[in-house]
Amino acid sequence: MELPATSDSPASTQPQFIESPQTQNDRRKRRIRSVLGFVLRIAIYLLITIVFVAPMFWVLGNSVRSSQSIWGHVYPVSVLTFLPLDQFSIKNYMEALGLTSVGKGLGLDLSRALFISFASAITVVCFSLVSNSCAAYFFARLEFPRKKILLAFVLATMMIPQQVVIVPLFLVVNQLGIINTFWALVVPWFASPFITFALIQFFSEVPKELDEAATLDGANLFKILVNVVIPNSIPGLLTVSLLEFQFVWNEFYWPLIAVTAKDLMPVQVAIASQFTERDPEWGRVFAAMVIASAPVIIIFMSLQRFYYQSAVTSGVKG
Amino acid sequence: MGTMALQTKKRSGINWYKMRMHGAALLFVLPALINFAVFRYYPMIWAFRASLWDYSLLGGFRKFVGFDNYVRALTEDKFFWHSLRVTAVFAIGYVPLVVVLALLLAVFASQPYRGMGLIRGFIFVPVVTSYIVVSIVWGMVLNKDVGLLNGFLSTIGLPRMEYLTSIRNALPTLIGISVWKDVGYSMIILVAGLRGIPEDYYDAAHLDGANAWRRFIDVTVPMLRRHLMFVTVISTLFAFQVFVPIYQLTHGGPARATNVAVYYIYQRAFKFGEMGYASALSVILLVILMVVSLGQMRLMRGDDV
Repeated sequence: MELPATSDSPASTQPQFIESPQTQNDRRKRRIRSVLGFVLRIAIYLLITIVFVAPMFWVLGNSVRSSQSIWGHVYPVSVLTFLPLDQFSIKNYMEALGLTSVGKGLGLDLSRALFISFASAITVVCFSLVSNSCAAYFFARLEFPRKKILLAFVLATMMIPQQVVIVPLFLVVNQLGIINTFWALVVPWFASPFITFALIQFFSEVPKELDEAATLDGANLFKILVNVVIPNSIPGLLTVSLLEFQFVWNEFYWPLIAVTAKDLMPVQVAIASQFTERDPEWGRVFAAMVIASAPVIIIFMSLQRFYYQSAVTSGVKG
Repeated sequence: MGTMALQTKKRSGINWYKMRMHGAALLFVLPALINFAVFRYYPMIWAFRASLWDYSLLGGFRKFVGFDNYVRALTEDKFFWHSLRVTAVFAIGYVPLVVVLALLLAVFASQPYRGMGLIRGFIFVPVVTSYIVVSIVWGMVLNKDVGLLNGFLSTIGLPRMEYLTSIRNALPTLIGISVWKDVGYSMIILVAGLRGIPEDYYDAAHLDGANAWRRFIDVTVPMLRRHLMFVTVISTLFAFQVFVPIYQLTHGGPARATNVAVYYIYQRAFKFGEMGYASALSVILLVILMVVSLGQMRLMRGDDV
């Protein structure tokens, strides 16, 4: 901070200038201001960090403790409130996952729920990659009379507030006879307007000349999609897969009403029914929270940039 | 497209070739279209149909009642009106808070200093975490006796408070939790918007003698208008659909203070089994929400001229 200030000032060429009290005053003011700005910035930074991170650290740190230890250290707030320096045991995790007799006795079974969550998220990702890629290929590349109307039909579904129409969705799925089966969890999400929209943009960036070359080589439409368009859009496909995985993983209201059998409950529904603050073992609840959010948070932390990009492309554009 | 191939086919009949190409093209989009039709459009049609009947899961379409469900909802059901009021209050608290905080955070977090990427990450973590986890965690943070927040307040000498169990504080607390969860999403969109503002605009304003505040008001805000509009509309949609924290933390209480519309519809449908009536309520809420969002877009587009 010191260095640019002195080299900026023309002190070396005009020695009399530095004597001027006016300039000295100015420079002091500027320095005070930059120091103040620095301090203020650090303060705001810390405040934001505390507000957003403290609850998470509290959960993570206390997931390896017993309730007595958690409650004993919450007041007064100190390092020990967050860091489990007095106690460390993975008992809470084992119980939450239903791997010990205590956990089983209480009806806790997050292992099963994790399996359902992974299975349903991966099923949705696979099916929606196929259907949305094909649809995006249609809109980005193929000829069809009045294609715009079909595009409007697809994009208008973005505006449907999902939580508001969930009761009618339940009625329709019930009519199909798949309520309370694994399929109820996944089938409604096999196509997504947001993903179709994002993929149209990714596919449009693949040069059209490649298609034409492939056509001359005798490739049909399907072969062009598989051999030309898809290999050139891998980052885009990866991004939408992650978003879809996160969406299905985090979904709560739909699985809550779509399945009632305990062995079909995905992890979010399972934690809501099996773990609440009324549980006398808060550490166990904390462990369940960590288990239920670790996959998506790990994916997010390793691929931050993709997330921001897709949040922006699927949102504001055009 | 190979013109050669097209011409040879043309002789044998242009319509056949074109129709085959169109038919093949249609096959690509058909699976997605069917899915949208069945799971996004058909429920709305079904909702309207079911709303005209006395309809339950076990009994099916028992009796045609016309618009009785709507009349009942709009004239007799004071709980429904109450839930709409609670939803409106929630939205009026939530939307401006999200937009203003997201803007401030975006401006702060897009400064060219070290550590700003990290803080964007911190603010975004709640967005990728599920609503149910966020709700349960905040329920424990806000616990009156052994929660983290009251522990902190006592540590710095402030009185302990009641949050979700107090009629007066419950709804503001839920607004706070939702803002905490969602603000990162809006922030990221505004950060992208800020990146798109040319540096020259700020330089020009600087030369004109505009201070930081004036530069913010005269350059940043107008240049971000479209992004701000998007964030406002999206947040309103979120606000009208809030469900999970209420389901998990307050069950609409205490004394119906947090009984928002989506939760009330859930209760009608799955606690009382009145599917027809719940469908009518869904249709009403859907119409209200559409009017609100279209009105917002119209209003903000009006600024353009």
